[in-house]
Amino acid sequence: MEKPQERPETQQSSPQMAAPDGGWGWVVVGSLFVTSALVFGLIRSLGVFFVEFVQYFDESAQAVSWITSIGLAMQQLMSPIAAAACNVYGARPVVMMGGFLSGLGFILASQAKSLLHLYMTMGFTSGLGWALVFTPTVASVMQYFTMRRSLAMGLGFTGVGLASFAFSPLFQYLVEVYAWRGALLLLGGLSFNMIACGALIRPLGNPKVVEKTENSTNLNRCSFLRSRIYECFELSLLSHRGFLTYAVAITFFNAGYFIPYVHLVAHSRNIDFTEYQAAFVISVTGVADIVGRVASGWASDLGKMRMPHMLVVWTGLLGLFLMLIPAAASYPGLLVVSLAYGFCAGAMTPLAFAVVPEIVGIERVLGALGLVQLIESVGGLLGAPLSGWLKDYTGTYTASFITAGSFIVLGMLVTMTLPYFWSCTAPLPPSPSNRKSQDCSIEDGLLKATSPDSVCETVPRGGYTA
Amino acid sequence: MRRKLFGAIVAICIGWFQAEAFTDANVMTDPPVVSNQTNATLSCNLTNPPSPIKGHYWTRNGKIIDKSDSTSDSAYIEYRIEKVDYHYAGIYECVFKSEPQANATIEVKALPHVVAYKHSENANEKDKAALVCVSHGYPLPTDWNWFKVNEVGGKDPIVNGTNNDKYEIKNTPNKTTLYVKDLNIEEDMGVYECHGTSDVGKAQDKIQLRVRSQLAALWPFLGIVAEVIILVTIIFIYEKKRKPDEITDDDDSGAAPLKSSTATNHQDKNVRQRNSN
Repeated sequence: MEKPQERPETQQSSPQMAAPDGGWGWVVVGSLFVTSALVFGLIRSLGVFFVEFVQYFDESAQAVSWITSIGLAMQQLMSPIAAAACNVYGARPVVMMGGFLSGLGFILASQAKSLLHLYMTMGFTSGLGWALVFTPTVASVMQYFTMRRSLAMGLGFTGVGLASFAFSPLFQYLVEVYAWRGALLLLGGLSFNMIACGALIRPLGNPKVVEKTENSTNLNRCSFLRSRIYECFELSLLSHRGFLTYAVAITFFNAGYFIPYVHLVAHSRNIDFTEYQAAFVISVTGVADIVGRVASGWASDLGKMRMPHMLVVWTGLLGLFLMLIPAAASYPGLLVVSLAYGFCAGAMTPLAFAVVPEIVGIERVLGALGLVQLIESVGGLLGAPLSGWLKDYTGTYTASFITAGSFIVLGMLVTMTLPYFWSCTAPLPPSPSNRKSQDCSIEDGLLKATSPDSVCETVPRGGYTA
Repeated sequence: MRRKLFGAIVAICIGWFQAEAFTDANVMTDPPVVSNQTNATLSCNLTNPPSPIKGHYWTRNGKIIDKSDSTSDSAYIEYRIEKVDYHYAGIYECVFKSEPQANATIEVKALPHVVAYKHSENANEKDKAALVCVSHGYPLPTDWNWFKVNEVGGKDPIVNGTNNDKYEIKNTPNKTTLYVKDLNIEEDMGVYECHGTSDVGKAQDKIQLRVRSQLAALWPFLGIVAEVIILVTIIFIYEKKRKPDEITDDDDSGAAPLKSSTATNHQDKNVRQRNSN
């Protein structure tokens, strides 16, 4: 598992360098599987409850749908805070606290007397919990793996797809047997399992910021606080061209990615397929999504092609198939295109995350994930209402699918402007200018070793920071 | 002066009558109302067309009916409804594309279609339950009534506000909601019926209400919480037992174990003899 002689020596920087690439890492992947199931799989299956809420509270479907919107928005907006907390306390306590908050939100929701209570409990509280769980777990998996990072991410994310299948009938059953209040209580208990998932994340070293602050006791209060915040939130990334390019690309992806999940059913019904046919299309897409995640993770780790290049391939295909969906007139045609769309959508997901360490370096991956989720939330907030408006305006879903496809293609074009995109070998990750050249070899060991050691000497310091 | 005013008024009136007579295109409908029929043929006859007829189309409830758009210049048009049910009921309009447009409406009435939102409802005791029935078609029910089916099969009417405010009924033409408050497991479980009445007739549907105890969910919940606590305890104990020395090293500072191991490596390279014992 641990091979100390391969790990270079460290001084005051980033002790989280040991990447076992197996062993306990697979347990952490299992943890990611369960948490992504209990966060995103759960969110996707809440539809059963919404029917109950509309009836019980006598509110419109739109008012009730704000519950998930608030929850998802909290999960993305609070990500930088989760990342900062991790940088200070380490992933384990943060994820355990997040699991507790998610469960607490549902337990309190079971006693709700109005829709506002549901907004505050299922929306804000659980949403904050989800933020504290998701980002640190993803970052931990990345720290545990280097050679098989994409495969680990792909396997971890399959939890979402499988949970969407299993949870819908399960929640329906729970509501029947226990009524919605009892079912929410049980969902809270189910979410508590994320506390156990957090416990499984063994730390690989001390958290970043604890290390660095040992050396800054001689600064005065104000600038000390500022530098603390700067480091905790990894704000140095905001001046990093590679990161900003990636963030813009992800925002575009986010704008287009979720639209089809929302509109595929309605579109199938619109062109006169029956309920069962429409449901089957969704199931087929879901299965293809799961397979795509694992296949793409495995293929990417073979190392034949650089990760940004693979990402461009999958997103290009995704955009293409999205735009083809409205063109599929017959049922078999729609099935085939949806299958291809599902596969590409799944294939894109692990790569979109796994490419982050290559851009910003493994040390800053936590802050990067936090900040990028905050920035991409803009895309999510824009995409869904825009496509809904397009549907209302044009009467069919054609315009909204084409828009979603164009967003994805736009993101793909932005990805092509990443620094070092057009070179054939993986570049060195960035090193801030105050690092010594030893750090070069640290991060070299972390990346897929496609560049020889001698490049380390010749590349000027501060590789990506152009 | 008064004579001039009178003359002007007469001229205006004559002009107005003439204009009226000129544009008084009349659309005769047959039948004006369809009620209590299994099928129907609607017809419109445009007498005195104000201009050549460029075509016609039919609408139902304001939306143009598919494939009813035609460019024929006939003044007599028909629309056939094979089955007059809630799906095809509504306010039909025949529109002639002339200058100006001429149109007329025909009401097609059918029995209201009453259907429960959910046929099986579950609620917690002491909580409230919401039973909802919706209606489609034309005309929508003017009256809603709720009944509870008792053990012998008879129906007990439910009236708004009686019995200590236990029942509350909210009605709109296309939806009725019955709120049953302060649920009791024995008394309130059972089948409820919603009846919608319009001037054409009556339709109904039934809903089964089940009342669940509040404690029912508590036991599985406590079971899950216990499971989580046990899992977390096992995880931490396993970790402590497995690597007790590494845990204590981590407590000092993360750099220390790695530093010492690499330091030992350096020593190994330089001072081999010392360590080889």
